Amino acid sequence: MECSEARENLTDLNRGRLEGEPAEAVRAHVGQCATCAAALQREVEVRALIQAQAPRYTAPPALRRRIQAAMAQPRPAGWSAWRAWLRTHPWTVGSLAGAVAVLLLVWGGTLWMARDPVSRLAARAVAEHVEYSKEMMNRPTPDPPALVQELRSQVGFSFEPVFRGDSQVRLVAGLVSDLLGKRAATFVYRDGSGRYTTLFLMPEAGTTIPAENRMPIETFKPYHQVTSGRHLLLWKQRDLACLLVSDLDEAGMAAMFLKVRKAT
Amino acid sequence: MNHAQTPLPAEALGYLDALYNLARWLARDPVEAEDLVQETYLRAIRAAHQFQPGTNLRAWLFQILRNTFFTLYKRKGREPEAMDPEILDGMSGWDGPTGVGERMAGPPDGTAGLDLTAALTRLPEEYRSVVLLADLEDFSMGEIARIMDCPVGTVKSRLFRARAILKELLRDYVG
Repeated sequence: MECSEARENLTDLNRGRLEGEPAEAVRAHVGQCATCAAALQREVEVRALIQAQAPRYTAPPALRRRIQAAMAQPRPAGWSAWRAWLRTHPWTVGSLAGAVAVLLLVWGGTLWMARDPVSRLAARAVAEHVEYSKEMMNRPTPDPPALVQELRSQVGFSFEPVFRGDSQVRLVAGLVSDLLGKRAATFVYRDGSGRYTTLFLMPEAGTTIPAENRMPIETFKPYHQVTSGRHLLLWKQRDLACLLVSDLDEAGMAAMFLKVRKAT
Repeated sequence: MNHAQTPLPAEALGYLDALYNLARWLARDPVEAEDLVQETYLRAIRAAHQFQPGTNLRAWLFQILRNTFFTLYKRKGREPEAMDPEILDGMSGWDGPTGVGERMAGPPDGTAGLDLTAALTRLPEEYRSVVLLADLEDFSMGEIARIMDCPVGTVKSRLFRARAILKELLRDYVG
C-alpha cells in the first residue's frame, strides 16, 4: 500500500469506519511506515482534542422561537397552484368573492369607525413592522451606504442622514413601504436578542402629532402609544415625520429612539 | 400536495443547535450566525419539496447552510486572517506535516501554541468546515463531500492537511 492511500483512510480507521481487509491493510502499512504512524497518532490526538475542547455553540432561544414559528406557518400556494385549484373548484369562486367582500367591509368599517388618522397610521405601521419581523427580513446588509443610496432614489425625497446601526443594533433591511398612501423610507433593525425595530421616514406634510401621550426622553417628547403590544413613537424632525415601532420594552425603545433621533 | 405546501419535516428543528454551531464557526459573529441559520431554515422551508423523504435531512440542511454562507457573505473579504485555501489545495498530493507546518501554519510571530479556537479560526473555511463536520458532527467522508460539493478525495486530503496544520498551531497542546 502506498502512503497516500493509507493517509486517505486514517480518519476512517480512527473512527472505526474502516473494517475487514482494508482496515488490516492500512494497519499493516502504518506498522511499517514511521511517517504514516506519526500521521495516525496526530489524527487521534487532534480529533480527540477538538471533540473535547472545541466550543459548541447553542442556538439562542429567540432564534429557536423564530424558526419554530416559521416552520409552523402554513405557506401560501403560488399563483399557479391557485389557478389549478380554481379550475377544479369553480363553484367556490363566488363564495370566495363574497367572503372577501364581507372582510373588506368589516375591515374598512372598523377603520372608519374607530381610527383617527394617527391611530390608523400607527396600526398600519405596526402591521408592517410585524410583517417584516414575521418574514424575518434580517438579511445581512453589508453595505448600508449603498442601501441608503438605493432607497433615496426610490422614495423621491431626502431623508439623510439616517441611523445605520451600531455595535448593539444592526441595520438588516431597507425598503420602501406605503403607509396610508404615503411613501416611506423604511429601515429594519435587529438587536443581539433578535428583537426588531422598524423606522419609517416620510415627508411631514399632512401629519399631525397629537399633543397628548408624549413620552419624555431626555429633552425630547415624541408621541407614544402601544399598539398590539408594540411601542410606537412618532415625531417630526427636519421636514420628516419619523415613526418608530419596536419589539423592545419601554426603556429599550427610549434608548433606540435616542440613537435614531440623534443620528437622523 | 403541491410543491409550495410541502412542509419541512419537523425533525429539522432538532438540528438547530448543530447548524447554529457551524454557523458560528463560519460567520464568527453571533448575530450573523443567527442570520445565517435563519436564512438556512427559510430556504429549507421554501425548498422542502426538493427533499427526498428517507434521505439524509441533516446533511441536506448543512449543505443549505454552507451554500447560504457563500451566498450571503463575500468569503474573501471575511477571512483576512485565514490561510489561503487555494495555495493549500494547490500543494502537491499529501504533503507531510513538517512541510505544511513550515510553509503555511506557523503563527506570524513565530510563537507556538495558539488555543484551539484561534487555531481553528486560522484555518481556511474549506479546511475548518471539513474538520468540524468530521469531528463535531461525525459526518462520513461521503456526506461531507456532498455538503461541501467536492470530491471525497478532496475532503480526505483537506482533513489530512488540516490535522497537520492544527498540530503545528497547537504545539503546546498536542504531543
